[in-house]
Amino acid sequence: MPINKEEYTKLQQIFADELERVSELVALEALEQTYFSRASGSFTALMKELGTLSPEERKVRGQELNQLKNELMSQLAAKRADLEAKTLGDIAESEAIDVTQPLLPAKEPGHIHPISQVQAILEDLFTSMGFMVLDGPELEDDYHNFEALNYRFNHPARDSQDTFYIKNHSDWLMRTHTSPVQIRGLKKYGAPLRAIVPGRCFRNESTDARHEHTFYQLEGLAVDKVISVAHMKGVLEAVAKCLYGNKTEVRMRPKFYPFVEPGVNGEVTCFLCHGDGCHVCKHTGWMEIFGAGMVHPNVLKAGGIDSKKYTGFAFGLGLTRLVMLKYGIEDVRHLQSGDMRFLEQF
Amino acid sequence: MLISKNWLQEFVDISKIAPQEIAKRLTLSTVEVEGVKVFGEGLEKVVVGVVKSVEKHSNADKLNVCQVEVGKKTLNIVCGGSNVRPGMKVALAQIGAKVRWHGQGDLVELKPVEIRGVASEGMICASEEIGLLEMFTKKEEKEILDLSTVALTKAGLPLATALCLDDVIFEIDNKSLSHRPDLWGHYGIAREVATLLKKSIRSYQTKIVPKGTGVKLTVNVEDKKLCPRYMGIALENITVQPSPVWLQTRLRAVGIRPINNLVDITNYVMVEIGQPMHAFDADRLHKSIKALKHENSIVVRRAKDGERLKALYGKEYTLTKGMLLIAGREKPLAIAGVMGGEESGVTEATKTIIFESANFDPVSIRKTSTTLGLRSESSARFEKGLSPERAELALKKAIELTLALVPGARVASPLIDKKVPLKKSAVINLALEDIKKKLGVSIPATEILSILLGLGFDVSKKKDVLRVTVPLWRAKDVTIPEDVMEEIVRIYGYAKIPATLPTFPITPPPANPLRVLEHRVREFLAYEHGFTEVYNYSFLSPDLVTRLGLEVSAHLELANPLAKDRPLLRRTLKGGLLENVESNFHRYAKVKLFEIGRTYLGETLVDSLPDQPTMLALAYAESGVNTPFFVVSQALKGSLSRVGIEIDFEKSLDIGSLYHPGRSAYVTLDGQKVGSIGELHPTVAKRMGIDARVAIAEIALTALLPHLKEKTSYAPIPAFPAVVRDIAFVVSKTVVHADVVKALKLIDPLIVKVTLFDIFSGGNISTDKKSMAYHIVYESREKTLAAADVDAVHARVIKKLQEQFGAEIR
Repeated sequence: MPINKEEYTKLQQIFADELERVSELVALEALEQTYFSRASGSFTALMKELGTLSPEERKVRGQELNQLKNELMSQLAAKRADLEAKTLGDIAESEAIDVTQPLLPAKEPGHIHPISQVQAILEDLFTSMGFMVLDGPELEDDYHNFEALNYRFNHPARDSQDTFYIKNHSDWLMRTHTSPVQIRGLKKYGAPLRAIVPGRCFRNESTDARHEHTFYQLEGLAVDKVISVAHMKGVLEAVAKCLYGNKTEVRMRPKFYPFVEPGVNGEVTCFLCHGDGCHVCKHTGWMEIFGAGMVHPNVLKAGGIDSKKYTGFAFGLGLTRLVMLKYGIEDVRHLQSGDMRFLEQF
Repeated sequence: MLISKNWLQEFVDISKIAPQEIAKRLTLSTVEVEGVKVFGEGLEKVVVGVVKSVEKHSNADKLNVCQVEVGKKTLNIVCGGSNVRPGMKVALAQIGAKVRWHGQGDLVELKPVEIRGVASEGMICASEEIGLLEMFTKKEEKEILDLSTVALTKAGLPLATALCLDDVIFEIDNKSLSHRPDLWGHYGIAREVATLLKKSIRSYQTKIVPKGTGVKLTVNVEDKKLCPRYMGIALENITVQPSPVWLQTRLRAVGIRPINNLVDITNYVMVEIGQPMHAFDADRLHKSIKALKHENSIVVRRAKDGERLKALYGKEYTLTKGMLLIAGREKPLAIAGVMGGEESGVTEATKTIIFESANFDPVSIRKTSTTLGLRSESSARFEKGLSPERAELALKKAIELTLALVPGARVASPLIDKKVPLKKSAVINLALEDIKKKLGVSIPATEILSILLGLGFDVSKKKDVLRVTVPLWRAKDVTIPEDVMEEIVRIYGYAKIPATLPTFPITPPPANPLRVLEHRVREFLAYEHGFTEVYNYSFLSPDLVTRLGLEVSAHLELANPLAKDRPLLRRTLKGGLLENVESNFHRYAKVKLFEIGRTYLGETLVDSLPDQPTMLALAYAESGVNTPFFVVSQALKGSLSRVGIEIDFEKSLDIGSLYHPGRSAYVTLDGQKVGSIGELHPTVAKRMGIDARVAIAEIALTALLPHLKEKTSYAPIPAFPAVVRDIAFVVSKTVVHADVVKALKLIDPLIVKVTLFDIFSGGNISTDKKSMAYHIVYESREKTLAAADVDAVHARVIKKLQEQFGAEIR
């Protein structure tokens, strides 16, 4: 016979007492089995007895038993949640670590020189725009460094104050710019040509915080059938925006270089003050970062290119200067000091 | 170069244009204006004072108490000026005036003060305290501004009025003028300003030179190449005295100290139209005045070696052969175009002068001035290459000014003009279509014409082609169509050129394999192996080279090194790295560095230049680490393996004295030597000042290029489990790991991996032996290996080790 009302309340009470005594998940699991195991659960047995009742009675008692079952099951679930929370609370303490502590023993990574880093960024930018990356000799001859670039034989830049010459080889020198590679590139690849030349250059001048006898330039050259001043401005503006953000503007002013005509000096909006004037741009709002111009017909000629058919522009970015501006480096000599206190910051 | 706005105003009406606007326009289109200075700004309360008395301050050694008259009042002033004296005219800042202490910091308003117990009702100023340092340069630190020599100053007059300080000065960057000789004077700048502002420029007029006789003047130009034109004329009845105030003010404003009327006139003309001039005292051209009176001959010739000349300001110069001289019959008179001689210059006693206005070869002038270390306003202009046509204009202007400013002066000789025929103006044809193509913008023909005409070009238009005649003063820098286009675009304005991207084919650029290799190796060395990249100079000292045990004579050498002690071009990166290790080792217990860079090898020519391979070098030292070798070998091998290059190390005794003979090897690639690796020889380490074992390596990246391999294969994941057996054995110390691995791998295909996990010597192992321990991985592609399968092969391993290496299995 199914249980009566009184037994019903008693069962509720017993279950509550037993549940109260449970303090571990395993015991809870056992309690659940005692009542609700499909095969031998005591509550399951009560449910099975419903089958012996008349349909009307079965309906009424069935509802009652189901209600009781739901009640007990929800008590079980609540108890389970309690016990689980308690266990997890324990590992928070028992397995605690200091999350701010570094890996020991320390594994110290090395550092890549800031010029290499900025150079790589620029090489990626220009190759994405279809420019080749070219190299040329650092120890150059007079022809490629000067003559082919339209420096008259008596140009002041050829004076030994500015140029390192090689002893016993009057024709050899340390290149004063990356521009000789314009000639070498044109001779080797012809037109059309798009190329950049990042590299080490040398000037015979005394070293101080702002001057170095060894520095890095990034030369660029684009020669094709219809290349104009407007194109030069477009490409340099794209470069400036990539380096310093979309609002960056390019300003060009006339500047004389023997190997371009017209020649300009290029400034970009100061990345720090955005044109308002600050210490970085010496309160002008502009930073001078490149020289550029339309390739001089004599240079095209020296590169074996017909200047009637082709025109082009060339530019030179001061790589060393870009690096100094980017990181706010106050003394150019740090770059070639080999001092780890400097290098470890990059 | 300093340019006065008032002076420009004489040629173009800019009275209503803000100075900053002029500066901006010039900077964007012509030359860089580095600064704009408004004279007289803030000088409202500064007046001319006359010092009546000077008494020592009773309470301070270096101070005086002065009574200074300023109009009706006399003020009590405490002054520390070193040159203050009674009767001196000074610049007196009254209470309320704004001054800059010692020329630095912000403006400070003067208040009545007591200085060491004495009241001071203002301040006697030094030139920098009221922004006039350029006009009145100082000879010593504590000098106050002396107005005594300034004409027309009287007590109480506002200083700005007394000095005609209503001018604005533009400071122009000389470097931006280097290719524009025509801009080295006010008229040239005025022409640019007029064109930029679309205003007309007054033409430069000079009066007709009166005929004169009385003084005989002959000029003989011996070297017409170095002196294409020489003009001279004598003027007599000269009175040398200070110039009028307006002239003094003009010169002061542009930083030139007034000297006397004649010198000032030559300077005035130079600053106005850019042509340097010189004035000789005709009576001092020759040693014996009487014998040669009225018989003046000037020779333009090259100096003889060792000729000497005392220049203006008293310094004597020894000339070398080839320098161009202006000489009299017996002696040099001037270094042509650079500086006049003191003995023939104008003095207060001068009665008759000879004006020189000439043209000299720019290269010769620059060489002379550089060799002598003597630079002047004159040489600065001549070395830019002036137009010979300028000489005549200048001379005429100087004569006109002399006749107007020197009472009684008159022309006393014919005008001498020795010249090679002047070049004709060049004509350049230019199609409007080409201008548009090259500039990338369509500028109306009328605007092009007005720009070129404004700059002094003659232009005629025939259909769509411009025929442009270049003015003589631009003959030097405008020679081809592109030069004319530059004139157009810079005046039109680069700002108005649209930024357009060119259309290029989308083909990707060919790669630069060396550059890719450099960047990748850099990343592996830094981020996997913990090495830090350095950049070192290409230049080394003989001392360092010697310490490394290398031959100084093998190095290429700079002819003109900056640092006399570092003239050699590096043949290895190791020297620089070892210097870095030495200097960093003072501060760091561990130093791991690498460099990628060129070396310069004079003995091998590539395209007629020295071979300049790109090298990679590493160096590592750490306190307490006894075999740093393996850190470097691991880094080198590991990072190259990442780019598909498998290098080997081959021990060799002929590796050179730099390396430790027992801890060094050649780096080889497919049997070919590409570099070297090893610990530094203890003797070299000592010479380098490094008190630790250092491992170094250097390889030629260029030589690796043909061997770059991209990884293109993969082995399927094994279907059957592997079996690992360890083996340890004792062998002679001469047995090397590489040989063991090679031998074991050849025994059976089931051996797929041989890994060294321990090396040990000492303990109970005899001193000439070592213990080696390996994991050997056995694996089959066909089946799960049974113990018997592995045992059989492992027995062959043991046998091989015993037979080939004499191993005692432990």
